[in-house]
Amino acid sequence: MPVDDVVLATQGDTAAFERVYRAHMPRIFNLARRMAGPDAAEELTQDVFVRAWQKLALFRGESSFATWLHRLAVNVIIERFRTLGTQRERFLADSEAVLDVAPAVRTKHMDLSMDLQAAIEQLPPGARQVFVLHDVEGYKHEEIGDMLGVSPGTSKSQLHRARQTLRALLTQKVES
Amino acid sequence: MSEQRRFGESDYEPLKQDDVLKQAVSEWRDEMPSRDLWSGIQSRMGSTQSPASQTPTTSLTTSRRVSFTLPQLAMAASLLTAVASGATWMIAHPPAAESNEPVIQAYGNPEDETEGKIVQANFADAQFNAAVDDLETILREERDRLDPRTVLIIERNLKAIDDAINEARMALDNDPANPYLNSHLADARRRKLDLLRHATTLASAGGD
Repeated sequence: MPVDDVVLATQGDTAAFERVYRAHMPRIFNLARRMAGPDAAEELTQDVFVRAWQKLALFRGESSFATWLHRLAVNVIIERFRTLGTQRERFLADSEAVLDVAPAVRTKHMDLSMDLQAAIEQLPPGARQVFVLHDVEGYKHEEIGDMLGVSPGTSKSQLHRARQTLRALLTQKVES
Repeated sequence: MSEQRRFGESDYEPLKQDDVLKQAVSEWRDEMPSRDLWSGIQSRMGSTQSPASQTPTTSLTTSRRVSFTLPQLAMAASLLTAVASGATWMIAHPPAAESNEPVIQAYGNPEDETEGKIVQANFADAQFNAAVDDLETILREERDRLDPRTVLIIERNLKAIDDAINEARMALDNDPANPYLNSHLADARRRKLDLLRHATTLASAGGD
């Protein structure tokens, strides 16, 4: 996307901001869908772009705009969980939901995309967020710890549990 | 339970290529919203301030924020305090002859046609206050990411600048048209914004 649109949007040009939105919406929508689920994704995407509009003056071009927007989106999504009061409690309670099995083996044809979507919705919010941020979005445990307000060790533990649960669910689907 | 799957071994590192989860993630398709979200965003934008109205004009292409190291910030705060004292002294000891130096606008667009006119500082300036509020909120939220010694230095410097601003305001109560004080107040405000921006940048970068 032309950087000029970001500059124009920073100066209050709503048409330029719409172009910014069109260029970045797919990535932000799918981030929200993966972190928070399809039901909340549309509203969260709107929240992210409204927040971006409000905060554009603080974007100083020290990172790429896509990176800045992505980080802002992660913060907005995490805030939603905090607002709902689920984050810390679910982090502490996550272990009960873990299924303890060996890694799944892809033994027959299956639609992994569909299966992963269904499986991830069964994860507790904490494990789900860590899995998406680490294994899908590529953040490091230290960064995830900063974003979620937990230690890197907790992030590692959550990732381990999320992976075990997802492997178990995917294996069950294959076997059934 | 397989030894390989026990936490603490390697299951928090990047997924291996032959892992079924790696394959699942790579095949996880993107989707699009079921409706156009822009109209909802646009209607909410209308009820919020545009970015341009929130902070003094900045341009990604024509200007860059000035960054300071912490020792430079400490020195700047000391200098500011000295300037504040000087300004106060000048109020008490006005020059015998009227100065011919141009009057400096306290706050606003430097391209405004105010040449030769004294523009009083607006102490309730919404733009300045909104920008400071925004930056202070960010700093509060992210201060835990900074080294406590860095936080201490930033807070000391902010206090020094706030003291300078308050001094200038009190002096301007008695002499609202004083060009030195107006200039000084504008400078102090600019320094406060610069310091807050620098501090939030440091915090966002994790204190690096």
